[in-house]
Amino acid sequence: MYCIETVNLIHKFSENETALNCVNLQVIESTIYGFLGQNGAGKTTTLKLILGLLKKQHGEILVFGKPFEKNRVETLRNIGSMIESPSIYGHLTAVENLRILQKVYKCPKRRIQEVLELVGLAQTGNKKANQFSLGMKQRLSIAIALLHNPSLLILDEPTNGLDPNGILEIRELLQNLNQNHGITILISSHLLSEIEKFVMHIGIINQGNLLFQGTLAELVSKRQQNSFIIFETNDDSATLQIINDFGVISRNESGKIAIPILEKETIAAINQKLVENNVEVYQISKIENDLEKIFFDVISE
Amino acid sequence: MNFINTFQSEWLKKKRSLASWLVIVGAFFTPSIILMSRIKNADQLSALYVSDDFWQKLWNQTWESMAVFLLPIGIILAAGLITQIEYKNNTWKQLHTTPQRFMTIFFAKFLVILIMLVEVFVLFNIGIYLSAVIPSMLFSNVPYPTAPIPYMDFLNANVNFFLDCLPILALQYLISLQFKNFLVPIGVGFVIWFLGVGMLAWEYSYILPYNHGTIDFLMSSDQFANRKIPPINIQLLAAMYFVVITVASYVLYVTKKEKG
Repeated sequence: MYCIETVNLIHKFSENETALNCVNLQVIESTIYGFLGQNGAGKTTTLKLILGLLKKQHGEILVFGKPFEKNRVETLRNIGSMIESPSIYGHLTAVENLRILQKVYKCPKRRIQEVLELVGLAQTGNKKANQFSLGMKQRLSIAIALLHNPSLLILDEPTNGLDPNGILEIRELLQNLNQNHGITILISSHLLSEIEKFVMHIGIINQGNLLFQGTLAELVSKRQQNSFIIFETNDDSATLQIINDFGVISRNESGKIAIPILEKETIAAINQKLVENNVEVYQISKIENDLEKIFFDVISE
Repeated sequence: MNFINTFQSEWLKKKRSLASWLVIVGAFFTPSIILMSRIKNADQLSALYVSDDFWQKLWNQTWESMAVFLLPIGIILAAGLITQIEYKNNTWKQLHTTPQRFMTIFFAKFLVILIMLVEVFVLFNIGIYLSAVIPSMLFSNVPYPTAPIPYMDFLNANVNFFLDCLPILALQYLISLQFKNFLVPIGVGFVIWFLGVGMLAWEYSYILPYNHGTIDFLMSSDQFANRKIPPINIQLLAAMYFVVITVASYVLYVTKKEKG
């Protein structure tokens, strides 16, 4: 079952400015979904529409299988969210910030201390939130999102401003929430490298279009499809001819011959044949696209 | 129950905020000035403190600045400051993703400002009383006022001034909810208030809700003698404005395309 499903979601900020173009997002229950895109790609607009912060113009938004608009209050009861920059009251302490939300969610007071410990802010005492570092503010925002034990977390770039250690801690926290509590997490980022280590599904959005949606394994197989072997020799035409004789499709790529990934025995045989035909082989190398390159390939297709 | 929780949550937000300080400063400003003036001129107070109209004189003295200037300006600032708590902290989006109806959020926040106004009235009345009795406690030549306190008259006047303020409160709340920039509600509020003061001599000046407190004060202190009495009850007009502006404010708030 999809925890979140959008059907043909279209949003325009003006007649000439289409922010989202038929976005069909599908977040499976109890998974971590990484929503990727460059700044301005449409991630925040999508998340704001899902949370009802923007008025829906066209399409359907289903959360927990029900239309969001008709079940707004009931649906939000089970969602924890953090959109863009931290939303906290700077003149209040961390506990006071959480107390405001605790009143609204009517959850036990002990949850305040629990979530503060969870995000490592239990010792902030009387320090006002506007004296917090950006990382601390991010953590407090995550604590606010977790306060009422939601079954769905929607986090828009939650690791912005965190140091590498902080990013690692948030990643571990989210993994723990997903694995041990079954919480579905929709997390957006503009850096694939930041979320590829723990998300199960990925959606890539660019200029309002959802270009890829699938499992991380599907994205990885796309990587293998895009990997190839490079032959650098002193005679390109002879090299092309010999490779063709092996029944392998090759192409000349900036003075080097590129062929698909082959078994190593075949590569050795090609190399031997080149040497026998007096072709000087300078380099044989395997080029593998990393996920980041695939991400940019996808959005530039 | 939901509304009470939301109200408590909204009430917590103003802790240590400028808005909460504004209540105390606004309420005690005029009584403090009067008290200081009386302490300075303590040797001339004995006759005043035994006069029959002691309380009425003090009442008019304190309410003059309050009704004409401090209340409208205070409300303009308070409504702006309360909504600015959300704008300044970037928390509208957090608030609007909590499981609360928009109506609950709108009226809970509105009630916070209304209760702040009640606080101002209560503290102001306490301030008036203290400005009267402190000199008699400090100086042996100043007796405790001999005239009885006209409780009912003061209560009626309080209710009337409170009703006079409601349309200002509703309009300032409407503007403050619509504009992120703090200067917009403050600027608009000040311009309307200035306009009102300039229009006071006009026979239809009661049309402008920002004038109701001033007109009420002038009428109650007999300073309206040579002017045309408004053909409608000022408080009734204020109540009507309040309802209409509040409904309009709610509709504009709910239909806002972007809520954070």
